[in-house]
Amino acid sequence: MTDVMAGRSAAGPEPRVTPGEDSKGRRTSPTRGQASRRGQLVAWAFLGPFMAAFLLFVIWPLIHGIYLSLTDQSLTGAGGSFVGLENYSEALSDPVMWSSIGNTVWFTVITTVPLVLLALIMALLVNTGLPGQWLWRLSFFMPFLLASTVISQIWVWIFNPQIGAANDILSAIGIEPIAWLQTAHVDLISIAIATIWWTVGFNFLLYLAALQNIPDLQYEAAAVDGAGRWRQLFSITIPQLGPVTGVILVLQMLASLKLFDQAYQMMEGGSSETSRPIVQYIFEAGFVGYRFGYASAISYIFFVLILIVGIFQMVVLRNRKGNS
Amino acid sequence: MIDTRINRRSVLAGGLATAGLAALSGCTPAQGSQTTTLQFWHLLSGGDGITMQGMIDRVNAAHGGFHVRPTVLAWGAPYYTKLAMAGAGGRAPDLAVMHSSRVPGYVPGGLLDPWDLTQLNELGVSESTFTDPVWNSSVVDGELYSVALDAHPFIALYNTEICEEAGVLNSDGQLMRPNNPEDFLEMCREIAGVTGTYGLSYGFIGDGNQMWRLFYTLYCQHGQQMTFPQGGSVEVDGDAFTAVLEFMHRLVDGEVASPRGTIDAAVAEFAAQRTGMHFTGVWELPPMKEAGVPVGATMIPPIFGDEAVYADSHSFVLPHQADPDEQMRRDTYTVVAELLKNSITWAGAGHIPAYLPVTENEDYAELTPQAEYAEAADYLVYDPVAWFTGSGSNFVQQFGQIVGSAITSGSGYDRALEEFRRYVNNLLAQPNPANPQGGRS
Repeated sequence: MTDVMAGRSAAGPEPRVTPGEDSKGRRTSPTRGQASRRGQLVAWAFLGPFMAAFLLFVIWPLIHGIYLSLTDQSLTGAGGSFVGLENYSEALSDPVMWSSIGNTVWFTVITTVPLVLLALIMALLVNTGLPGQWLWRLSFFMPFLLASTVISQIWVWIFNPQIGAANDILSAIGIEPIAWLQTAHVDLISIAIATIWWTVGFNFLLYLAALQNIPDLQYEAAAVDGAGRWRQLFSITIPQLGPVTGVILVLQMLASLKLFDQAYQMMEGGSSETSRPIVQYIFEAGFVGYRFGYASAISYIFFVLILIVGIFQMVVLRNRKGNS
Repeated sequence: MIDTRINRRSVLAGGLATAGLAALSGCTPAQGSQTTTLQFWHLLSGGDGITMQGMIDRVNAAHGGFHVRPTVLAWGAPYYTKLAMAGAGGRAPDLAVMHSSRVPGYVPGGLLDPWDLTQLNELGVSESTFTDPVWNSSVVDGELYSVALDAHPFIALYNTEICEEAGVLNSDGQLMRPNNPEDFLEMCREIAGVTGTYGLSYGFIGDGNQMWRLFYTLYCQHGQQMTFPQGGSVEVDGDAFTAVLEFMHRLVDGEVASPRGTIDAAVAEFAAQRTGMHFTGVWELPPMKEAGVPVGATMIPPIFGDEAVYADSHSFVLPHQADPDEQMRRDTYTVVAELLKNSITWAGAGHIPAYLPVTENEDYAELTPQAEYAEAADYLVYDPVAWFTGSGSNFVQQFGQIVGSAITSGSGYDRALEEFRRYVNNLLAQPNPANPQGGRS
C-alpha cells in the first residue's frame, strides 16, 4: 500500500491533490481518488484467495488438460511424449465414446421431460389446497435430501431381479419380471427412474413457490370473465410459470449431462454399453485404464459439445425474450 | 490497536496449529526413537481386514525395530489406481498387497521392484515353499515380482444337511463330484427337489467377475488355457468356449439356478438355506458359518473332465522406490516372511495359505471345511497373462457384457465368441498404458 502511494506520487510530476492537514492540524479525509484506489485494494484482498484457488484449480488444470490431451501421458508417470492430434482422432473414431455420449444425451432427454412435467403436476395438485400441505411438501422433497450413495443403494435393492420390490410389484399385476439394471437398454431407464424419484422434489418446490406467487387477482378476474379451471390453467398459470420453467430446464439439463454418481454406484462400478455415461468413460479411460492423454481428449470433445448446447440455449432464450 | 489485534490473532492461530500438530502426532502410537515405520497398503476389508490386522499386530509385538502401519483401501479399480499414482508420485508405500493377476500389467511400467531370492531364502521362503501354479503366477520376465500370501479359488460351497437329504453326498459325507455335464445337472435337480426352489445359488447377472470366474474354471477343465500374446492374436478354443456358454445357460434355467441371480441374492439365498449349493469364492465361507449354515466346501467338480480351479492370489509386492532404505527393505522382507509363516490364521478366512509349510502342518488338516479343498492349490488356474487382465479389471467387466446375453438367452454363442476374439485382439494391439513407449522408462 505504501509502495503504491509512493509510486504514484513519484510518477505524477505535479500532484495537484495531496493529502494534507487543515488549518487546525487535523488530518483531512482521503481524497476521492485515494478512496477508490483503497477500495480496489480491499476488493482485491478479498478476491485474492478465491482468484488464487480459481487459477490453481480451474484455469491451470483447464490449460494443462489441453496439453495432456496432445500427449500419451499415463497415470503411472510413464509416457508424456507429444502425439499431436492422435488422441482426438482415436476418440472421434471410438464407438464406445460415441455410445457413451449417446447414453448421456438419451438420459438427459428421458429425465428432463418427466422431471419438468411431473414436478409441475405435483405442484399443481398440492396447490389446489389438498389437506396436509406440509406432508405432501415433505414427502415430495425428502428424497432430494439423500446422498447419491444412499439412493443408489436403495434402488439397487428395489431393482434386484430376484428379490427386489420392483419385480414383486410387476408379478403381482401379472407382468414378467425384468432384470432392471442388468438388461441392455433397460439399465439406463432404471437409473433414470431412480434419478427422477430422487430429484423431482427440487423442481416441485420451485414450481410450488412460483405458483404461490401468481396473484389471486388474475384468477378472480378470469372467473368474472367466465373462464373455467382448465382455461385458467392454460391462459394464466402455465404462461406465468414460463420463467421458472426456463430456469428448471437449464438446471436440469446441466445436472443430467453431468450424470455419473448414481450410474456408477447403481452399476456397482461395472458398466454396460447401454448405460455408461460419458463422464464415466472419461473416468475409466483415465483412472482405470491409466490413459490420461486419451481421457483428456475425450473431456475436451465433451466440453465442446456442451458449449454448443449452451450457446444454442442462450440463443433460443434470447430470441424468446426478444419476441415477448 | 490494529497491531495488537493481529498479534492476538496470530497467537491464537499459532496455538491452534500447535494443538493440531499435537493431535496429529497423537494418532501414531508412541514409538522409541529407533523405531521406523513401514507403510503397508492393502485391500482387505471386512472379516479379511480384521484377520490381517491381527496378524500385523502380532508381527509388531514381536519386533521392536520397526512398526508396520497398514492403510486399508477399498478393493477394485480405485485401489490399483491409487497404488499406481503413489508410485508415479514417488510416494509409494514400503509394502503392498496386490492380486497376482494384476502384477504382469504393472511390471513393464517400472511400478514394482523385484524380490531378492537370496534374501527371501535366508528367511525360509523359496520356490519349494509354494505349489507350481502359485510360484509361476508370481514370476514375470524371469524375476519374482510378487510373493503370494494365499490362493483364493472359486469353489462350490454346499449345505451338508440339504445335500444329505438329496442323497448327493458320498460315504465320507462329502459332495459327490460328477465328471460330466449331465450328471452334474442331475445332481443339482436332486438338490432342487429337496429345497423346493433352486438347487444351486450362482449370482452372475450384470457381474463380469462372477461370469468370468465360472466360465474360466469350466473352460480350463477342457484341459487348456487361453493365451493372450501382446501384439498377436488371442489363442482360444472355440468349441470349448461355446460349450461352456451353453452349459452355463443350462445351469441358469430356472430349475437348477435362478436365471436372474445377482451375487447379493445368491449369497442371501444360500445363507437362508433355500438352496443346497453355492458357486462362489472361498471368502464367503466365514460369513456362511456365522449364519449357521451347515456348510461344506469342495472344488467345483470336473464337469468337463479335467480338474481346474480358477483362482487369484493376494500377493505381497514392493512398490518401486527410487532410493530404498536398505534397513527398511530388510525389515519389509522380515514382515513378509513372518506373515507367511503365521498364515494359518489367514486360512480361517477361507483362503488357502500359499506357504506350503503351513498347509502341510497338521493344524491345517484339522481345519474344516478348509482342508477339504486344500488340494485345489495343485490345480489352480490364473487369468491369462496380459496387461489388461486380472481381478477388478475392465477386461472381466467387458467379458460379462460380451457373453451375458448368450448365457441368459441361450443363443448367439458363436457371435459371443467372435466378439470376444475381436475385443481381445484389439486390446493386444494396444500398448500397455502403464508404459506406452514399450520399454522401461
